[in-house]
Amino acid sequence: MEEELRAAFLGMKRQEAIDLVKAEIGRGTDPLAILRVCRKAMEEVGKRFETGQFFLSELIYSGEVFKGINTLLEPVLKTARANENAEGVVVFGTPKGDIHDLGKNIVITMMRAYGFTVHDLGVDAPPQKFIAALKRTESPILAMSALLTPTFKTMKEVISMLKDEGLREKTFVIIGGAVTSEFVQKEVGADAQTLDPIEAIRLCKNFLRDKK
Amino acid sequence: MIPETMSCRERVQAAIALEKPDRTPVMPLMVSFPIRHRGMTQGEAWRDLDKAFQATLDTYDDLGGFDMLPKTNVYWPMLGGKFSNAPVRNLVPGRDLAEDALAQIDERVLFTREDYDRIASLGWNRFWEEHYGEMSGKSLQRLAAVQHQLLERYCREKQICEDRGIPVLLGAAVDSVLMAFSMSRTLTQFTMDLYEVPDKVQAAMDASCDDFIRNTLETIAITKTPLAFIVLERGSGAIYRLDIFERFEWPYLQRFVDAFLSEGITPWFHLDTDWSLNLPYFKKFPRGKCVADLDGTTNIFKAKEILRGHMCISGDVRADLLTLGKPENVGEYCRKLIDEVGKGGGFLLTTGCECPVDAKFENVKMMIDTAKTYQGKY
Repeated sequence: MEEELRAAFLGMKRQEAIDLVKAEIGRGTDPLAILRVCRKAMEEVGKRFETGQFFLSELIYSGEVFKGINTLLEPVLKTARANENAEGVVVFGTPKGDIHDLGKNIVITMMRAYGFTVHDLGVDAPPQKFIAALKRTESPILAMSALLTPTFKTMKEVISMLKDEGLREKTFVIIGGAVTSEFVQKEVGADAQTLDPIEAIRLCKNFLRDKK
Repeated sequence: MIPETMSCRERVQAAIALEKPDRTPVMPLMVSFPIRHRGMTQGEAWRDLDKAFQATLDTYDDLGGFDMLPKTNVYWPMLGGKFSNAPVRNLVPGRDLAEDALAQIDERVLFTREDYDRIASLGWNRFWEEHYGEMSGKSLQRLAAVQHQLLERYCREKQICEDRGIPVLLGAAVDSVLMAFSMSRTLTQFTMDLYEVPDKVQAAMDASCDDFIRNTLETIAITKTPLAFIVLERGSGAIYRLDIFERFEWPYLQRFVDAFLSEGITPWFHLDTDWSLNLPYFKKFPRGKCVADLDGTTNIFKAKEILRGHMCISGDVRADLLTLGKPENVGEYCRKLIDEVGKGGGFLLTTGCECPVDAKFENVKMMIDTAKTYQGKY
């Protein structure tokens, strides 16, 4: 199963991947084992993206395949799933002033495929919403994605509120989206910035590794 | 100040033709910026287009003038009832969004995968004649009337500008075929289509390309401004492999350029996202006839290496610099652009995509003043 499913992912064959997973579920294969194979395949997609072999379109496509398989596995995974999401927890949103979510959704799909639990706050999210979600989930990572400059003000407000709430030191703040840059990162006081979904995941993983 | 020996229009035309202008031409792409600068909300601007136009003119004056006004107002001129762009739903400040929010697009699926066959048999215009009402729940005739009024308004405003000696750049805005299809299906669904039903996508695109060209030519016949602002952001190497670009973007872009140039219309490629991988293809277009307009994502200095002596480059004072930077940062970057991208000619100093709503006035002024005062290492 592993090799065929991997080939379907890397060959951008959605229907083949779905059919294989359906057959495995029907055969009684452990759903967590299927999920692990899918995640490994997605990591391979990510590696190929980083080396320039794959493009953003392949991330989008394989992300959709992964989402489709997740939907199939959801009913059979249930409780086992919580333990599987061991990679880390992220609060993610498009800050107030912007309703774009394309980039955010791509990164969230990839993060989930890499085993992160992501709390998606949607678009046009005010600072209070980010702070409340961080408190509720105890997430050590806050991600903000943007395409418009008015979000810079919101990003600054979020980071200022993190300080007021005593959360800044323990929260890794990462920003992305076409309008961001290293310059914006410094100005708003974030810890990292990238336009690359896989680099975003690596930066988050590095933070979690260094924190241990 | 550099002594000026050319008119604004001559200066821009010289840059496009890769000839040496008297100084670097400069123009910020202003849409929402003048509204805030003149103390209006974006909602007020959309409710009162006369006031929005006046704010644009006043801001032009406040900035000390520049070479061309990219367009006259917050709306885009469009042909009544025919679409040169995907018929997306625009969210308007004060109506669909907060009073001072920016106008944004609500990207949704406008036609389904099954519709590709219909488009292939009907073409782009006839498909929307049949499908627009069903898709939007609105009357195409009513929309056409509004678009027609806006196009008439655009011509009036353009005339007022030109009577005041301010040339206006934009004759018509048109999506590349790939851009329009992607916006109509959403990036994700369109990407799935490209992998799963590529032949259907291509057949629909083949049947649509001439309608995009015709709609653009008809718009320009009305605005009498021979420049087609071609919106491209979804077909670049930032998103797709080159074989996808070669099949689904490049052939239609070539058809656009052939048709526009044969009518004396300048193709202006508005290249949002990173086009570094694709720029070598652009060298195949006729020399000194088109503009590659970069948004700050493509490395403009590398673009110059690729397009030097072939195509004028426009760009790319970034939104973050204009918003968060200081005038000295902006001045320094503009001088670098004039020195390196302007060297040998073929350069227009512009904002990377739109001038942000919250750009600092002194930064935008610095961008314009640098072009007027700094000769560079031509």
